[in-house]
Amino acid sequence: MAMKMRIEERLYREYMEFFEKAERERRWNIFNDVPWDQINPDAPEELALCAETFASVEMYLPDYVAGGINVVRDYFGRAWFQANWGYEESKHALALGEYLMRSGKRTKDEWFDHQNVVLSKEWELPFSTGRQMTCYGMIQEQATFLIYCKHRDFAKRENDECLRTIYDYIARDEIAHTRFYQSVIKILLEEDREGTLSDLAHVFANFEMPGVGLVPDYDTRILQMRDNGGIDRNIFIRKVYLPLLKYVGIDRHEMLAAQRRELEARRNRESIVETTSSAAE
Amino acid sequence: MSENVLTMFKTVAERVDKRSFDDVTRESVITDLGIDSLSMMQIVGEMETELNLQIPDEDLVEIVTVGDLCSKVERRLAAA
Repeated sequence: MAMKMRIEERLYREYMEFFEKAERERRWNIFNDVPWDQINPDAPEELALCAETFASVEMYLPDYVAGGINVVRDYFGRAWFQANWGYEESKHALALGEYLMRSGKRTKDEWFDHQNVVLSKEWELPFSTGRQMTCYGMIQEQATFLIYCKHRDFAKRENDECLRTIYDYIARDEIAHTRFYQSVIKILLEEDREGTLSDLAHVFANFEMPGVGLVPDYDTRILQMRDNGGIDRNIFIRKVYLPLLKYVGIDRHEMLAAQRRELEARRNRESIVETTSSAAE
Repeated sequence: MSENVLTMFKTVAERVDKRSFDDVTRESVITDLGIDSLSMMQIVGEMETELNLQIPDEDLVEIVTVGDLCSKVERRLAAA
């Protein structure tokens, strides 16, 4: 009980610091702060396709919020973060959708049809505990930040100041989110290092970006996103894995040991399932 | 020494990924072998532990082929 109270207090302080900074420095207004008059109508379709892909992934917000907030509702700081996160993320899909329509790259009907196709599927929570979901959020937001930065450069190269600005605002939000998750992970590591390492290893081993298997033509879209953003296969290690470990204070070899334990545990679980299935036959 | 390090890579990769890497050469591109980035980190870590050496993080991001990794290990061994 004492540990829960202590974590509760620390998470509350982290959230208040995060929220104060967000209110003071990071709020942006979709109607006033985006230069809608600086859309480049001649920008290539690839730019629109990538924006549509990002908007599609952001569109699963109802599932992200519903699943994400319930798994952390026992800690005020984390639950309130998820509520604020939902507000900030809601602007991302809105801004990108508005961009697609105002640029003329998609008609209103095309965009709403696409929304219906996207929302016909449902995103399911990839991990079952609040701590694992915090690990997932930390990795996913760092990766997303990186991708938006790369595409901000792509929009700039194509002289689309409007989309460049939207990506800039979104990237700022994403990095703020991953920083919060990192701070929470640091606290959790201090309170239960072995358990947190084990969860982090489990999440790294099973990590997938949220649009996989949901967004229509996802594989083709991802290839476009990588090509146009200059995103290579090593970038996950270089810009996500290693920087995250460094920030939360985990040595690469300590993580390796946790990954090894996780792998063994998974193999044991699989072996038990195989044995049970054979016995049942 | 280069053969030894390549053999070690094959052994460790087989242990981590649970499949054979017999046909691997120094020219093999790691991602073409179907080794994902996290498995790669695990292979590097296992080799570092067994050989009692450490490759700096900034060197890890330059590794593209099996030979790149072997060369970095060999340089560390020679310097030890």
